[in-house]
Amino acid sequence: MDRRKFIKNTSLASSLFLVPSFVRAFEDIANEKLGFRRLVIIQLSGGNDGLNTVIPINNDVYYRLRPKLAILKEDTLMLNDELGLHKSLLPLKRIYDEGHLSVINNVGYPNPNRSHFRSTDIWQTASSSNQYLKSGWIGRYLDNFDNQPHNAIEVNDSLSLVMKGRKINGLATRNPGIIFKLSQDPYFKRVLNYYNDEHLNEHNLGYLYKSMITAKSSAKYIYETSKTFTTKQKYPNSEFAQQLKTTAKFINSGLNTKVFYSSLDGFDTHVNQSKTQERLLKNYADSMASFIQDLKQQNTFKDTLILTFSEFGRRVEQNSANGTDHGSANNVFIIGENLKPPGIYNDLASLNNLDDNGDLKFEIDFRTIYATVLNRWLQVDDKKILNKSFKQLDFI
Amino acid sequence: MIKRHIQHLHWRVGFGIIPKNLEILSRKEKTQVIDELFIDSTQISPLNVDTSDIDYIPNKAFLKDPINRDKFLKKSIQKTKELNYAWIERLTNPHELLREKMTLFWANHFVCKDNNIFHVQQFNNTLREYALGDFRDFVKAISKEAAMIKYLNNNQNRKQKPNENFARELMELFTLGVSNYTEEDVKESARAFTGYNFMFEGDFYIKSKDHDYDFKSFFGLRGRYDGDDIIDIILDQKQCAQFISEKIYNYFVNDVINSNHINEMVNVFYPNYNIEELMRFVFSSDWFYDEENIGAIIKSPIELLVGIQNIVPLLFKEPVDILKIQKLLNQILLNPPNVDGWKGDKNWIDSNTIMMRLKLPSILLNDSYISLKQKGDTNTTYLNQNVRHRKYNKIFNVEPNWNTFNKNFGNSTYKEIQETLILCSLNKGTELFLDNLNQMSKKEFCVQLMSLPEYQLC
Repeated sequence: MDRRKFIKNTSLASSLFLVPSFVRAFEDIANEKLGFRRLVIIQLSGGNDGLNTVIPINNDVYYRLRPKLAILKEDTLMLNDELGLHKSLLPLKRIYDEGHLSVINNVGYPNPNRSHFRSTDIWQTASSSNQYLKSGWIGRYLDNFDNQPHNAIEVNDSLSLVMKGRKINGLATRNPGIIFKLSQDPYFKRVLNYYNDEHLNEHNLGYLYKSMITAKSSAKYIYETSKTFTTKQKYPNSEFAQQLKTTAKFINSGLNTKVFYSSLDGFDTHVNQSKTQERLLKNYADSMASFIQDLKQQNTFKDTLILTFSEFGRRVEQNSANGTDHGSANNVFIIGENLKPPGIYNDLASLNNLDDNGDLKFEIDFRTIYATVLNRWLQVDDKKILNKSFKQLDFI
Repeated sequence: MIKRHIQHLHWRVGFGIIPKNLEILSRKEKTQVIDELFIDSTQISPLNVDTSDIDYIPNKAFLKDPINRDKFLKKSIQKTKELNYAWIERLTNPHELLREKMTLFWANHFVCKDNNIFHVQQFNNTLREYALGDFRDFVKAISKEAAMIKYLNNNQNRKQKPNENFARELMELFTLGVSNYTEEDVKESARAFTGYNFMFEGDFYIKSKDHDYDFKSFFGLRGRYDGDDIIDIILDQKQCAQFISEKIYNYFVNDVINSNHINEMVNVFYPNYNIEELMRFVFSSDWFYDEENIGAIIKSPIELLVGIQNIVPLLFKEPVDILKIQKLLNQILLNPPNVDGWKGDKNWIDSNTIMMRLKLPSILLNDSYISLKQKGDTNTTYLNQNVRHRKYNKIFNVEPNWNTFNKNFGNSTYKEIQETLILCSLNKGTELFLDNLNQMSKKEFCVQLMSLPEYQLC
């Protein structure tokens, strides 16, 4: 148990004289007033082509292996002498110029799996490639350091594995009004009014009633807290933008949520990649720009770290249908005000030294990024969540 | 046979029972009721969707071309959805009830997922074929399924570079349970499955240049084993009968294990591994009908959905709604979360699913409305409530068939309806609450009962 929770629980459970009142006062302020750090995770589902997102503009191998698909240097937004951003990412280029974006290259894991399902599971559970875990890393964060489902929210209709802990699960909601309305059905209210908790420990039935009570209070808390904030920020008209708008509403209304999860789907570009990727990246960048603006207006951007990843990158060589097949290592974007130093974290791996499948070799284990975020940003013991000690990186 | 016991049995081997059938069975002896379950399941009716528009695909090479592959995948994914709908339709109205329930059980034991409709369909029908058969043959058949060979990477398992994925899961998840074997056993058995491969149509073959014909050491034995030999050695371990018996007990009896009951089951199952014999033993045991086992299990989303449809048949005007419901409740058939399958029991329930599960019956059956009319309320308040509920958005485009309900429950008392829908004993407060409700409409009463936490159990 961490210190804060220890003090909190002690002051609740035993009588007050155990804890000096100034300590309690301090803890209350720390909890409620000063704000706390939040993590927003975005998955680009389907396997985004990292090489056409952050483009190696002077690399002969890149241009040779992608005769139809390579993006010309002059069509990119130059980040440095070697790398340029896809032109759809103009808003992201501005964020980069402000020093609020880091690009970590060659992120992956040993023995990469090229199945969407499996590789997504690996990223979401923070497992090794031959290890099957039943809980997600954010779920285990909840198990260890917070204990309300609403401490981690996936802005979606159903819950991904990443949000499922061993003991508790995070919450999935796209529209807090809907869950609230469901839970406010007068019939359920009446059932709970009559409910006799004499048999509260009664095997499965007791568990069902208890879950009902928790769900009802979570839904009420989220709905009533989040409705206190209305944004003035304009967002693009896309589902993904709406997810980020909801996330901003949760953050700006002061909801006690540490982690948010959203995804943007459609990156599995085996055929005619260029148009599809252009549209998806534009959606991503435009939505992200509105989101960041929304947070900045409420002064909550400084407490927010945004991590964007994809379950794998794509093959270096294009296929015959002007698309790319499943690959391995990929880049990860970190966005926030507290990057040290911001920019390109590491060079792109050599395209002359690919693995047996013709894919980029990974250099940075994605779990070292998780470990760093958990330890330095959320300030919890990363080993408890990742079950293992990973190296810390220097990006925050 | 006692009615309550029949209801219990039919929730475990099926999805509940309507009064008419309950009445017929109650006049029979227990042994006869159980016998009929097995007789009705003798036949095997494969589940197939119409694939005529993609039957033209000639071979694997054709799909190497990305454009062909993309087209095929899109069709295939659409067909897999259709198979999902067809499966749920089958479950709501099966002739071979027990076989279908067992198929559903095995689908969460031999967990597999694929995007080739031909292989998905073939795998699903293999589950159906062996559902009550010889477990030894069953495991061997599964190891040779195209979908499984792909899902657990046996097609990448080569003599020069073995892939241990299948060999490991075979022991950990399909037969023995974790830590009942050594890492050495995994390595050696993986070699026996090298070269496992499949033809485009789904037929199994061994690619001899990839297969390792050498000696393997496995569970203290040594020989030039192939995959089938390895499965035989695994099943010679009594632990396998123990592992499968526990899993069956959890699913069909109680999520809390009783080791005496398991021992009895193991003695029936081992060494012949006759699934039918084992199931007959379970359903015939006195302990199966112990009060603590009745209404003790949390329904899976599919059991919940199909159970509702057995009482009030539903016509989904947009089949995609069937998929939406499965997604909201976290169980999409043919799309398990990972090789370990759905964890089941309490794991079905969290803050997201509980409200949706409680609200689902009223959404499907009654435009989201659950009557609250109490004894002594006047008709006006009832009308007001009725008007108010129209404001709810229609979430699914579905038409409930209340005529069938009225036909089936027309002669039932309110008490009988309650006994049909709720098997566990009611919470004391909830019992009082139900007593105070105005029992004026069987339809409203049905929705009220289905909206209780108690209805989530079977």
